[in-house]
Amino acid sequence: MSRRVLVVAFDDEHRLLAALRHARATPHEVLDVHAPYPVHGLPELLGERPSRLPWACLAGGLAGLGLGWALQVWTSVHDWPLNVGGKPHDSAPAFVPVAFELTILLAGLGVVAAFFLAERRRSPAPAAACAVRATDDRFVVSIGARDATFDGPALARRFREEFGACEVEEILVEDAT
Amino acid sequence: MSDAVIRWTTLEERDVLRQGAAVSQPTVGATPASARDETPVDDGGDLRLSRRGFLAASGFTMAGALAACGRAPPVHSAPGAMAPEDVVAGRATWYATTCGGCAAGCGLIVRCRDGRPVKVEGNPRHPVSAGGVCAVGQATLLGLYDSRRLLRPVVDGRDATWKAVDERVRTDLERVRATGGAIRLVTGTVNGPSTSAAVAAFLAAFPTARHVSYDALSASAISDAHRRTHGVRVVPRVFLDRAETILGLDADFLGTWISPVEHTRGWRAGRTLGGAPPRLSHHVQVEAALTLTGSNADRRVRLDAGTEGAFAAHLAARLAKAAGLPAPATPDPLPVEAAAFDSVVAHLWATRGRSVVLCGTNDVDVQACIALANEALGAYGGILDVAAPSLQRTGDDGGFAAFVDELEAGTVSAVIFAGCNPVADAAGGARLTAALPRVAVRIGLAERHDETTAALTVVTPLPHAFEAWDDAEPVRGVVSFTQPLVEPFGEPRSLRACLVAWSGAAMSELDLVRATWRRDVLPRLPAGAAEASSWRTALRDGFVRVDVPRAPARPFDVAAAAAAAPRVRPPGDGWVLACVPSVAMLDGRHAQNPWLQELPDPITKQTWGNAVLLSEVSARRLRVADGDRVRVTGKDGVTATLPALIQPGLGDRTVVLVLGYGRAGTDRFAGVGPAWIEAKPTVVRGGTVGASATPFLRFERGAVVYGGSPVVVERAGGREDVARAQVYDRLDVPKNVAPHGGERRDPVHETTLAAFTKDRRAGHPHAAHSAADLWPAEHRTPGERWRMVVDLTACTGCSACVVSCQAENNIPVVGKDEVFRRRDLAWMRIDRYYADVPGATGEVEVVHQPMLCQHCENAPCETVCPVLATVHNSDGTNGQVYNRCVGTRYCANNCPYKVRRFNWFDYARHDRFADLVLNPDVTVRTRGVMEKCSMCVQRLHEARAEARRLGRPLADGEARTACQQSCPASAIVFGDANDPRSAVARLIAQDARHYRVLEELNVKPSVGYLTKVRNRPADGEGAERHG
Amino acid sequence: MADPIVVAAIPERTMGAAPTTAHPAHEPRDDVRWILGDKGPRDITDDVCRPLGRRPGRGWWAAFLVALAMLGVGVASIGYLFVTGIGVWGLNRTVGWAFDITNFVFWVGIGHAGTLISAILLLFRQKWRTSINRSAEAMTIFAVMCAGIFPLIHMGRPWFGYWVFPYPNTRGPLWVNFRSPLLWDVFAIGTYFTISLVFWFVGLIPDLATLRDRATGLRRRVYAALSLGWSGSARSWKRHETVSLLLAGLATPLVVSVHSVVSFDFATSVLPGWHATIFPPYFVAGAVFSGFGMVLTLMLIARKVMGLEAYITKKHVEMMCKVILAMGAIVAFAYATELFMAWWSGNPYERFAFLNRAFGPTGWTYWVMVGCNVVIPQLLWFRRVRANLAVVFVVTLVINVGMWFERFVIICTTLQRDFLPSSWADFSPTLLDIGTFVGSFGLFFTLFLLFCRLVPMIAMAEVKAVTAHQPKADDGKGGAT
Repeated sequence: MSRRVLVVAFDDEHRLLAALRHARATPHEVLDVHAPYPVHGLPELLGERPSRLPWACLAGGLAGLGLGWALQVWTSVHDWPLNVGGKPHDSAPAFVPVAFELTILLAGLGVVAAFFLAERRRSPAPAAACAVRATDDRFVVSIGARDATFDGPALARRFREEFGACEVEEILVEDAT
Repeated sequence: MSDAVIRWTTLEERDVLRQGAAVSQPTVGATPASARDETPVDDGGDLRLSRRGFLAASGFTMAGALAACGRAPPVHSAPGAMAPEDVVAGRATWYATTCGGCAAGCGLIVRCRDGRPVKVEGNPRHPVSAGGVCAVGQATLLGLYDSRRLLRPVVDGRDATWKAVDERVRTDLERVRATGGAIRLVTGTVNGPSTSAAVAAFLAAFPTARHVSYDALSASAISDAHRRTHGVRVVPRVFLDRAETILGLDADFLGTWISPVEHTRGWRAGRTLGGAPPRLSHHVQVEAALTLTGSNADRRVRLDAGTEGAFAAHLAARLAKAAGLPAPATPDPLPVEAAAFDSVVAHLWATRGRSVVLCGTNDVDVQACIALANEALGAYGGILDVAAPSLQRTGDDGGFAAFVDELEAGTVSAVIFAGCNPVADAAGGARLTAALPRVAVRIGLAERHDETTAALTVVTPLPHAFEAWDDAEPVRGVVSFTQPLVEPFGEPRSLRACLVAWSGAAMSELDLVRATWRRDVLPRLPAGAAEASSWRTALRDGFVRVDVPRAPARPFDVAAAAAAAPRVRPPGDGWVLACVPSVAMLDGRHAQNPWLQELPDPITKQTWGNAVLLSEVSARRLRVADGDRVRVTGKDGVTATLPALIQPGLGDRTVVLVLGYGRAGTDRFAGVGPAWIEAKPTVVRGGTVGASATPFLRFERGAVVYGGSPVVVERAGGREDVARAQVYDRLDVPKNVAPHGGERRDPVHETTLAAFTKDRRAGHPHAAHSAADLWPAEHRTPGERWRMVVDLTACTGCSACVVSCQAENNIPVVGKDEVFRRRDLAWMRIDRYYADVPGATGEVEVVHQPMLCQHCENAPCETVCPVLATVHNSDGTNGQVYNRCVGTRYCANNCPYKVRRFNWFDYARHDRFADLVLNPDVTVRTRGVMEKCSMCVQRLHEARAEARRLGRPLADGEARTACQQSCPASAIVFGDANDPRSAVARLIAQDARHYRVLEELNVKPSVGYLTKVRNRPADGEGAERHG
Repeated sequence: MADPIVVAAIPERTMGAAPTTAHPAHEPRDDVRWILGDKGPRDITDDVCRPLGRRPGRGWWAAFLVALAMLGVGVASIGYLFVTGIGVWGLNRTVGWAFDITNFVFWVGIGHAGTLISAILLLFRQKWRTSINRSAEAMTIFAVMCAGIFPLIHMGRPWFGYWVFPYPNTRGPLWVNFRSPLLWDVFAIGTYFTISLVFWFVGLIPDLATLRDRATGLRRRVYAALSLGWSGSARSWKRHETVSLLLAGLATPLVVSVHSVVSFDFATSVLPGWHATIFPPYFVAGAVFSGFGMVLTLMLIARKVMGLEAYITKKHVEMMCKVILAMGAIVAFAYATELFMAWWSGNPYERFAFLNRAFGPTGWTYWVMVGCNVVIPQLLWFRRVRANLAVVFVVTLVINVGMWFERFVIICTTLQRDFLPSSWADFSPTLLDIGTFVGSFGLFFTLFLLFCRLVPMIAMAEVKAVTAHQPKADDGKGGAT
């Protein structure tokens, strides 16, 4: 099954936001917005939930801390206890730097890994010609037809005239589901 | 271990030996009884294989060694209680022998592994050396594996067989005898009964032959003076342990004079602070050059070279007057300050009977004055023994001078040089070169080609002391034996065997020695010395004591002594030269030994060469700094051009040149050290290590003059690297960076006897540091806890420990350039510091501090190693795991003592032959790893394993480090601190002098030191001084 | 592709003739115009991507060949070192570290500015960072690469360098010493490099997508692979912002920890002159100081060479000068504190160490350090100096020299003369020391020059976001709120 998608491009983030507010008021679904840089207020407008990436970061960090400390204590106290400079086998203060660095390392790698995993499920850029410039200077809204009232040309005109869209295109998208 | 039995392989065996049942009781395995019997010739037939089989088994590449295998090996050289089938591969055997490094005749025990000697140690029971070995003695081991040794006879520059040589020499000598031409046999000191007998037989066979014996470092004047005063030409034996006041005048008796190890033992015995009241002899040194002995004196008085005679005359006059004897004339003004002189005389006189004056000036009149002084002090009969004298330097300068004259006159028909190199080391040697070609028969016996053999037609190889049968009588009454420890390399033959062969009957080396033993030694054995009467026991012990015939003592000829008129000082205020031997090189006979070449001089710390030593004032006068080249010109235009080195403690007119350098063939060391783009050669191609000072020596009044000749000194332009192992010489930090209160550092604690007698803790600058610890005592030392204590009062800085450590631990030589770049690898170094003497400009006091890995309990090096390559052992030592080391050098940086050494390059040993010296128990380190003192862990483990095997605890003194074993002064005490009865534990617990260097860092070193106590005059300059 | 809206022509402006750019600092931040010339997103894309598409100019080639030659010297030096041994450096038994660890600390320090600019300034929402953070981060990565070489090659047996990692092995329980600061270095530098690289790459993804969408052929395929399918979706942007913020939050303590750990190499030792608790903050400040010096040096070159005057403006330079001034003050204060503590401690060894630094045999290095790091940077107090880019350039070079000498002074003069005078020794570098040092610069510049050619030097997306909100030069025509 395929559906019709209206791809509207703006050359200014303010016009985009105004148009987006309008689009949200229509029954049509705002599928995604593509922009050359993160536009402030956009996620709120799209009703995004707060990201869960910080939790991944925390988990990575805790894993790093735990593993780092465990590695040091296990190797230095249990597996191969040696008299090094007369210091106790469990030289806790000396274990802080490595544990700290491992905390940071795994936290950082954890959050990036989570980011990449999350990004695997994101919606791709619409195949419209104008959308290609979303990585350059265009702010592109994709509006998907939800019901029969979807009137592409009318909407396009509206965006063009009322919200200053610089380009509007209607495409057919094969639905994955 | 004073009662240690010599030569044992297992502790069990040693114990049996100790019980006196050693010889006849088999200890290990079923040994055929016949192998132990004292059968004269054949008993060793089955003994030759195991020890000697090494050569065949190990696959030498050396042609000489291979050739040697074809010959019948020498037999029964001291199997002792050990039958060959008991020789366990990988287990060491020990053999007693006598040192061949000089004529002092110290007793050695040599450790052999797999049939080759790998380590030289002192024989603790030997009457001369009593367990000490000097640096030279240690290094003779390397001389055995010298690839430049002469392996077979050379005739007219071509290799020849012994048969051909013997035929030719016999014919030549026969012709000379027929024509009545003079034959001269030139040797150094010969004191062995068997060699003496052979010489006597040779002289008897050739009536025109005469024996000329000279010493490159001559004591001829002492003998000559005693001929005047005592009627016998002897050098008295010195018992310094009996002395309470010692005046050394120009005599480096702890370093290079006659018998340094023996003297060090005696000197040390007079300096034991443990008793109450503490015993500390008063040692004053009056000298021109700053010698090792002077550096250890309680008080050193410098005088300019050439004024020793005046000093001796004044001394003799003053003491003779005090004793009511006729006094010699005192021509010169007193060369030292009157106050110092008076103080010295007062001390000597106050302890008369227990005072002695030792003088090294080779001038008969000076020595006669000294004899008079000693007579006045009552030294003869007590401290000085004329009846059983020293035979360590019996050379006769007058005889040698006459020989040179003869040679120049062309009246000599045949000459035989044996084991000496007069062209290079004797006064008038240069004259020999010109005169020798006129001699028809020119024969030389030498270990390797040298300056003298270059002028000879027949040159035959002498054996190294470790390959030879020999005997020696270094002091009258002690016969010391030398037995071969390894199959000879090549085909060497001793002087004794040669003389016998050339005068008629050929005999084997062993037979010659045994014949002498039976004929000359056995009858002299004291009554009741039944055990010693066995040849085997004598070999096992390495020596026997024999009776000394007591001739009726002639009265001291006072008149002859008082008639002495020593040389007057050279007029004017020009430069005066002093030529002195160095501890490592002596007269230069060991110039081919890289260990000794790289051994830092105890005073100058120079390696690989000599320098022109000047006082600070002189250097300023000449406007030279360290390393500026300087030319010294003597009489007849002899010159030496060397870098200058500023040496504190010299007279401002004195220029010092060290003898023994500049030897031909030392350019072989050019390639010693790593090859890389900025490397500089150790010696320039075709050059020599250092420059020779021998041309400056000359005969005067029947003796060789070493000091006092006027010379011209001038800048030669240019600079030359002086490779010194230590460049900053003082405990005082430089003035411009000295913080208030921290001007002087305190690694060395020092005090005076007066202060020490009052307070045994004198000299320690701080109160004891608290032992508070941040951490719980998590690490225990359940077994041994090795610790070491070094007595700074005893240590003379002689550096025997340095070479001993080098030999034991396979430490490579690195070459001059690497030393210059401060990359010497010695694990044991001796820090030498100067301190100005208050109120006496130019005078310095010297302290020596052996510095080695301190094996800290809280070792800073261990904490910082990322890969755990250095960790602590449960016996308290700090281990270095070469295999694990990646070479970050952080440990060395963090070492407060800077005792860690890094392998900057692959200090490869390219000489495959010299590699035989390597101790198989110690890893040879590769490039890029850190190394350092391990407290001879291999020796500790060997001793511990042996004790465990026998199921008994390790006794104190069984495990000994190499440095400790060699120390002639017994300055190093080592042992298990967990055993409260051990010597080291007692010292640590009870000796108030004990301290640890940099204790305030709380690294808790395992090595401690005992405060240096000097016996300064009671009115001394200031009370105590701490470091 | 139709493009109905024509972007208004940009009014021609020369940089110097823009008095409004030199607004007094008390102006509200948002009113400050960080990017000159009213650049629209398209202009920014064009300006930044232009050099990547063109063939490199003669200047670039000249610089690249010089850098490559230096790198060659370094490679040859290190090769010779590996073959022959560490002895080819001028080190000795007393001075076990000199050029090697000096260079290591120097390069790690250089790296710090990049992280500071990208992470700390991001947390503080400093918009001016956007023009320089990309190259500063790249510089961080390259500097850490240069730094990382030295701990490896300074080992006596570098082929066993991997032994510093705790890995299970067949030799039984054979681990590493977690008490050793060198091991902490391994983890700190490793983490620092990894996180910096990841942070840099995450920031680069949108710009790589931009490049992908402009390019054709092979380049497009390469950029497509690298940009991981970035489309600029709002959700992605949100996640991207979160990740950037989190990484910045992680990198901030990391950057502080890294130079602290590096300083532990010295601070945890027992040597007078090293054993000091002041070292961690002192080293961090010094690192930022030197890092900003290097960033500024590079930026001043790059803006000229790459024609990025509109993006890296005098204002940026001025801001960085102020940071340098502040950090320089901290460094100077640390020097003074060291001296004070040496005196106040009453420890004669400590006192000697500092007297020796200043007045000992290599005292001149101390005065070079003080002159370069304390005296000359004071010029930056003057606005006229800060505005004169040539002078600023020289000052930054001087700071780089001074900071190298700081590390040399700390390492070398301390080791030369510590506790026992018997072991005192001097250090003098060999040709190989110098060659290796030159080689590290060669590597750094080679990588940096390649970076200029292959990756957008300026974070386009971030600059676009900044320009969208900054006031227009010609009074709010078009698009302003």
